Amino acid sequence: MKGLIKKDLLNLASYKTTLLILIIFCSIGIIGTESVTIAPIVIATIIGMIALSTFNYDESSKADKFILTLPLTRKEIVTSKYVLAIGSIIIGGLFGIILTIILTNFINIIRPNDLITIDYKSLCITTLCGMFGIALIQSIQIPSIYKWGAEKGRIQMFILLFIIILAILGISFFFTKFGFQIEEQQIESFLNQFGVWIISILMLLMYLISYHISYKIFSKKDY
Amino acid sequence: MTNAIDLKKVSKYYPDFKLQNINFSVPKGAIVGLIGENGAGKTTTIKSILNIIKIEGNITVLGKDHKDKEKEIKQELGVVLDDSFLSEYLTAKAINSIMKKFYHNWKEDQYYSYLKKFKIPLHKLIKDFSSGMKMKLKIITAISHQPQILILDEPTSGLDPIVRNEILEMFRTYILEDETRSILISSHITTDLEQIADYIVFIHEGKILFDLPTSQLLENYGIIKCKEQDFHMIEKNDYLHYKKEKYQYEVLVDNKYEIQKKYKLKTIDKPTIEEIMLFYVKGEKE
Repeated sequence: MKGLIKKDLLNLASYKTTLLILIIFCSIGIIGTESVTIAPIVIATIIGMIALSTFNYDESSKADKFILTLPLTRKEIVTSKYVLAIGSIIIGGLFGIILTIILTNFINIIRPNDLITIDYKSLCITTLCGMFGIALIQSIQIPSIYKWGAEKGRIQMFILLFIIILAILGISFFFTKFGFQIEEQQIESFLNQFGVWIISILMLLMYLISYHISYKIFSKKDY
Repeated sequence: MTNAIDLKKVSKYYPDFKLQNINFSVPKGAIVGLIGENGAGKTTTIKSILNIIKIEGNITVLGKDHKDKEKEIKQELGVVLDDSFLSEYLTAKAINSIMKKFYHNWKEDQYYSYLKKFKIPLHKLIKDFSSGMKMKLKIITAISHQPQILILDEPTSGLDPIVRNEILEMFRTYILEDETRSILISSHITTDLEQIADYIVFIHEGKILFDLPTSQLLENYGIIKCKEQDFHMIEKNDYLHYKKEKYQYEVLVDNKYEIQKKYKLKTIDKPTIEEIMLFYVKGEKE
């Protein structure tokens, strides 16, 4: 499995310039807007999406067939993709947090009269919310790719996302129509209290379900 | 003695193609050539052995079930596929760093010495390699963990005669280094197999038409070229297939010396494997 992760990371090495540009843009964004939430979400999103492009590399080299000739089980092959996907959003999120802290401290040093304070708990929850979004996309996209291939899988994913968004809009419309009031403050305090746990458990559940579906598809697939 | 590979009653059904009841073996120390036209079932047979596709029937590799001991078996296999490799966006150097994570027995020194011998660049992306260089790299990658069995799907297809010859030489060296090693090689370029294969398995429309030692095919098989009246004198049991050409009949026999004696023929031509293949596919049998 280590070999497969290494192969994917070496394939992704071509993205290093993109990542550097991304970091520069995020830094400018943080300095310009003084927003402490932008970097973790943007970086986790982009790194999380880049990790999925390893499927495109595999597809263009028709690597799946060759990988199945290597001394690996189908379970290990699927697991390696999830390790990379989950690892990418964790690294992206952490890197975003670190970049935010460094840049905020840098701004505070050069501008001591107007200090920016970081609410670390809120920063972590915001980052986790961003990671949750990417985890949702990854959890839908990976089984879709195993089922339909990298190109078709992406189309199927957009259709699924569209359905999810429609469902959310439908629920909120239903709430408004029947007079349910949702207090933003209540949600915020609820998230501050239990958010980290709820989001983490939901992410874990999403990945577990997605992994089982992917493995089921891949274990039955002929190449 | 255990065979390197054994296929028993292997079948695979697709909507438009059937691989039916395939039985053959790759003996230890032998090179077996799998021949047949495009779409005959050669690649499907190879994929079956590698458990890339699900099949009916039994396959054992080095005496072990190919599904139950898949991981263990694959440590002992070197595989070259015509249209698939690890990645086109890596370099030969990167391939080494990846492959050594998969194989316990990966020989880094040997890999680099092969790259040097066959002038494969270390730092160039594989997608920029010529077809010959790509195939050589695939073969080097397949043999650098010193596998017991090499499985090669169309390794010489689309290559010029010089590169093909270099590649065939690689296979000969691989077998000579250890006489218990075996090769299963599929190809529609039968001249390559005439040079190196000990056995030829001919597959046509998903069925095996013959599985014979190459020496028997080349030494005992013969083509009689005769006129129509002479052809009708040959007993039906004495020939395999015949072809009616514009001015003559061509008749394939599998015991040319006895036939020559029996019918007092002056000459019987020695066929190539390609000609034998064509008789089986295009020829007639009454």
